Amino acid sequence: MNNELYEILRYGILGGSILLILIGLYAALTKRSLIKIIIGLSIVDGGIHLLLIGIGYVKNGTAPIFSPGFENSTANMVDPVPQALVLTAIVIGFAVTAVALSLVIRLYRHHNTLEIDEIKNLKW
Amino acid sequence: MVGSPVLLIAIPLLAAFLIPLIGMIWKESVRLIPGLVLAFMLVSSASMLLYVTNNSTIIETIAGWQAPWGINLVFSPLTGFLATLMIFLGFIVWLFSYRFKRNVDFEPAKKYFIFLMMLVAGAVGIVITGDIFNQFVFIEITSISAYALTAFYTGRNSAEASFKYLLMGSLSSSALLIAIAIIYSQLGTLNMADIADKMYLMPTGYKITALIFFFMGIGIEAEIFPLNGWAPDAYTEAPGPIGAAFAGIVVKAGVYAMIRLVFTLFDIPNSMQFLVVIGLVTLIVAETSAIKQDKLKRMLAYSSIGQMGLVFVAFGIGTAEGVFAALFLMLNHAIIKPLLFLSGSYLVFNSKEKKISEVNGLGKHMPITSLLFALGAFAIVGLPPFSGFWSKLSVLTAAANEGMILIIALVLIVSVVEIVYYFRVVNRIYFFEKSDNVVVQKPRINAMIAMLILGSIILVIGFDPDIVSIYLHKASHDLMNTREYIDNVLSIGQSLTK
Repeated sequence: MNNELYEILRYGILGGSILLILIGLYAALTKRSLIKIIIGLSIVDGGIHLLLIGIGYVKNGTAPIFSPGFENSTANMVDPVPQALVLTAIVIGFAVTAVALSLVIRLYRHHNTLEIDEIKNLKW
Repeated sequence: MVGSPVLLIAIPLLAAFLIPLIGMIWKESVRLIPGLVLAFMLVSSASMLLYVTNNSTIIETIAGWQAPWGINLVFSPLTGFLATLMIFLGFIVWLFSYRFKRNVDFEPAKKYFIFLMMLVAGAVGIVITGDIFNQFVFIEITSISAYALTAFYTGRNSAEASFKYLLMGSLSSSALLIAIAIIYSQLGTLNMADIADKMYLMPTGYKITALIFFFMGIGIEAEIFPLNGWAPDAYTEAPGPIGAAFAGIVVKAGVYAMIRLVFTLFDIPNSMQFLVVIGLVTLIVAETSAIKQDKLKRMLAYSSIGQMGLVFVAFGIGTAEGVFAALFLMLNHAIIKPLLFLSGSYLVFNSKEKKISEVNGLGKHMPITSLLFALGAFAIVGLPPFSGFWSKLSVLTAAANEGMILIIALVLIVSVVEIVYYFRVVNRIYFFEKSDNVVVQKPRINAMIAMLILGSIILVIGFDPDIVSIYLHKASHDLMNTREYIDNVLSIGQSLTK
């Protein structure tokens, strides 16, 4: 891979991840449907995962696994720590989404609507 | 010394997931096991705190990976003090809610205690871990159990309060993850001591961006001003003892994470003034909101936010004296506010709206609970023979030694506001006539013991503050001395590689 392509890819990943975060934030903050808010939160999570992966990428990188024939290629391995972080963050994001959806079910039973403007027993 | 730091996290997590299994065989164990586990943790943590106060900090490496690479747990005078305080509060909450209603079903009790154990495990983890990503994971464990506990009662608006909390919590945890990504991309490490050691390598722009994202991420647990919108609703809709757990456990963990950032990780010169400013804004906004509330728990929630503002002001003074005062305030708040929540939840036990006007004249009908509430109210506003007086006095002397007259004036004015709204409630309890449609609820014996323990601690610290001040001095020295923290953590790694 030549230098130019690498730089384009690198900035593409970073820019794309920031774009995803912004799209998710827009959805979470402006949409009035509870389900759409949760989708927005998941998109923010996805953007951050991409950002972390982008940080750990190195030029001409290979998977950070020691396997036969690749014993001496540690210099080219991508950084494994962000990948471990992303795996953990995915699991956490899954748990939060599950809790959020179960709360939405409870809210729907209670109010018979998913519109956040109509669920106003408390001050927002 | 009993046990080790890792057990303080591993045992409650294990217990949380074993409870449903053992509960299938013996139902009573669901209520008993958490108490036994918390009692063991309390003994273990207290003995380790005694050890670290007289000897050196305990540092535990996990899975044999040395300090900058692996995760390590740091049990220092500061973290040990906070961990012990939280475990003690967890024990009190367990004691209070052991059979919180007469015939509570097996299912709700099981869920309640599972989440309580996870809450304590997560909060202790936040405090004693030495790795920022590990701290993020523990913050998430704490938050998820807090969301679930907020939504515990199906009858109330609890799902709404919980969703609100979850929305803010989820966005702020994203901010925290971005901050961690910035730090890792610049310094290539996640270990707190290592970050603090290499922080000078980071360009100032990145530093400030990371600090802002960290504040957004952690401020929600620490209840600082723009991020505390969840707190009044969550405190109101959650069960009474969970309000106590939020005030005593979750918020303390948030404050710790915040001050660890400002004091140890980032060496930005003006961050102390920043702490003072956000502390004062939080304090003033919360106390003026508290005076307008007509629901008891909501008023207590705003008061809790205000107290956290005062803690940040005291930390922001920046001297060892200021840190001592802030830690003393945290200790007092962790004892007094749970007492107010626990006794207050019995005062408005049978009412639907939980209004302050419904406590009228209960002083004659539930004398001990009312007396304990009044004791808590007197202590938190800082009347002389009670523990709150000493912490407020130490804040004022610390500010006076630095010549911060404005802080002294504001803190005194806010204290007057506090006196107004707390004494309004106490006045109603004792000098108003009870209305006929209010049903009195006698506290159960275990709840009474829990409240009496907290009340007697307030009196003991009030009459003899010296019994805690040695630990507080050690803890404030520990927080101020960044170099020692870094050397302690990193030297372990070096000695293992040799």
